Amino acid sequence: MVPILKQGDVLIVSMQAALSDKDLLQLRDELAQQVGQKRARGVIIDLTALDVLDSFATRTLRTIAYTARLRGAEAVVVGIQPDVAFAMVQLGLSLEGIATALDLEEGLAHLRAQER
Amino acid sequence: MAEFAEQSQTQQLMREMGLDDQDILRRKQIVALEPEDLANIAAIQETVLTQVEALTAVFFDYLASLDEGRTVTNNRSIVDRARQLKKAHLQEMVHGEYGRGYVEQRLELALLYSKAGLELRVFLGAFHQLLRTLGASVMKHFESAPTKGFDAFMSLKKVAFFDIGIIVDAMVSERQRVIRQQQDAIRELSTPVLQIRDRLLLLPIIGVIDTHRARLITHSLLQAIRANRAKVVVMDITGVATIDSKVANHLIQTVTAAKLMGASVIVTGLSAEVAQSLVALGMELGKLNTVGDLQGGIEEAEILLGYKVVSSDDRARFRMSQATPTTPE
Repeated sequence: MVPILKQGDVLIVSMQAALSDKDLLQLRDELAQQVGQKRARGVIIDLTALDVLDSFATRTLRTIAYTARLRGAEAVVVGIQPDVAFAMVQLGLSLEGIATALDLEEGLAHLRAQER
Repeated sequence: MAEFAEQSQTQQLMREMGLDDQDILRRKQIVALEPEDLANIAAIQETVLTQVEALTAVFFDYLASLDEGRTVTNNRSIVDRARQLKKAHLQEMVHGEYGRGYVEQRLELALLYSKAGLELRVFLGAFHQLLRTLGASVMKHFESAPTKGFDAFMSLKKVAFFDIGIIVDAMVSERQRVIRQQQDAIRELSTPVLQIRDRLLLLPIIGVIDTHRARLITHSLLQAIRANRAKVVVMDITGVATIDSKVANHLIQTVTAAKLMGASVIVTGLSAEVAQSLVALGMELGKLNTVGDLQGGIEEAEILLGYKVVSSDDRARFRMSQATPTTPE
């Protein structure tokens, strides 16, 4: 189970270990709910702790981001490690159309810039 | 200590060349070294053993007589060790045992030659001279039965060619190792990632990009993005002469990977030819943010980062115009 934290009008999800497919789907549903409930304007998904990202996880991330946007919150994926980024490119996995940032701080700065 | 280092060096070379017991056996088959040869060699063992000193002298005197051979003979520490090894070589050569230990000794000598910078052709010349002298003395020994002498010498020649095979392979593989080392050094030098402002990196690429180098460039760029917390990267490819679809794909991959880490990449320095060939190839370059030259790229990056560069003259004038109304009368 992945905790979803609330900071102001931003929801923060920090993925801790390689999640099972089931966990990912649960996170997707949970987040879609919470964006509405908490009236969030932004969602940050932090992948700093992950050293691997497979195609299913990538696809689910995309789904989460698009769903959040439809519910009125901008999603930012942060903390992708150099090796993960390289592997994703090699495998042709992309997060096209989704904002990415270096880390949590940058992600928050990006959301703030969007609001203005 | 030095002895030990040499030992491990020959062992390493043996591994690199794949010289195991099986390979040694195969090499013997290739020169057609058979049991009857061993018997032939045993017959001339005495003759050779009495002449070891003289034969060694022939080899090194011949080297010394050639301009190209003096790289060995003028180097005291090397020539002493080489002489010692050559003597051992001649003794072992008629001993009839050509296994791992024998091969190791050949490699040690080969390493010594390549350390001294001895050319293969020069070595072959000197070795031939040695064999000729050896052959002459064998024939003399078998004066009454020349066919037998010839057979004995031919058997020994098989061993000699077995040796030459090993030495040639060792020297070639040594040279390849040096080339590999230099290539690595060039690669290391050729992918610098420079920080030119806070959160702005410059990645100048010069020379040919192949798959290996593209991977290295991407890797060092991604590490630098994290280390410097970069937000914008200017990738300058003025120094890349030609771009084919493969290289263009590498560039796009690098840009995409950087984007995943939250850094945007500006590509600069596409020459007219490069731009035309990319269009002709029909590459999908919509994802690339390109600017004509490096200056333009850096200016663009500064805008993205929110910098505004003002020349100090302008600033002074600006300050004066600001200051005028507030000056006390």
